Amino acid sequence: MADALFYVMAIAAVLAALGVVLAKNPMQCVLSLLACFFALAIIYLLAGFQFLAAAQILVYAGAIMVLFLFVIMLLNLGAPGAEDPTDTRMFSRANSALMVVVAAALLFVGALAVRRAGPMPVTRELPAEGLDPIPGLAGEMFGRYLLPFEAISVLLLATAVAVVVLAKRDGRAKSGGNA
Amino acid sequence: MSVPSEHLFILAVVLFAIGAAGFFLRRNVIVVLMCVELMLNAANLSFLAASRMHSLAAGATKPSLEGPTFAIFVIVVAAIEAAVGLALVIALYRTRQTVSLDAVTDLKD
Repeated sequence: MADALFYVMAIAAVLAALGVVLAKNPMQCVLSLLACFFALAIIYLLAGFQFLAAAQILVYAGAIMVLFLFVIMLLNLGAPGAEDPTDTRMFSRANSALMVVVAAALLFVGALAVRRAGPMPVTRELPAEGLDPIPGLAGEMFGRYLLPFEAISVLLLATAVAVVVLAKRDGRAKSGGNA
Repeated sequence: MSVPSEHLFILAVVLFAIGAAGFFLRRNVIVVLMCVELMLNAANLSFLAASRMHSLAAGATKPSLEGPTFAIFVIVVAAIEAAVGLALVIALYRTRQTVSLDAVTDLKD
């Protein structure tokens, strides 16, 4: 039952990912990406990563997708018929065949690497607390990985400042005009 | 779930290849950013697949936690990347009234 659900969700994730690449309207792209994230969250849950599944829903589907939707609606790109004309003929450009070949080569090399790694059978029962128990995860994050954790908090602060600076309506020109 | 871990790796590879193809093919900046998110998700999935492979291998006694820890870091970096990228999109739209990458070739010309 769980195995069948995994394959169903895997196919759903791949189809939704194809939808992101192939949909003409940016709004359809966002909704496809949302479906892909939900399918991946269910896969995490099936694989035993309960906390990561919750984080996937909260951060990706909750925060990042809202950010994308917000920008698309703010710039009014989701209206029907508002497709970017360069994207409606994305497969007829001169070098798009090359790009598809590059992506197919990535796929081939990745599949080959997985094949060379050999079979990875599941030999143990999944523990009841899952594969990402929160006490253990917290011990890692505030123990061995304390320095990366602090670095990422500095990165978040820098991002908050940078986003304000970037998205502010030409403050420099205004103050320059007054001076 | 008793699916062997290599199937999770194959799914990660397929999602990464689709994301890379979209990154190369699309010209709408917002969709390009979405394809980057797709590739980061594929990386996350392969972290978790590796962790699962080690945790459920014969002889393992407790779950290997490096994979989930790095997956959390990747999620944070993905959120940061989306925030900065979309702020750039808004700044670009304000100066050029476009989100097409074909219109932004200042460094090429």
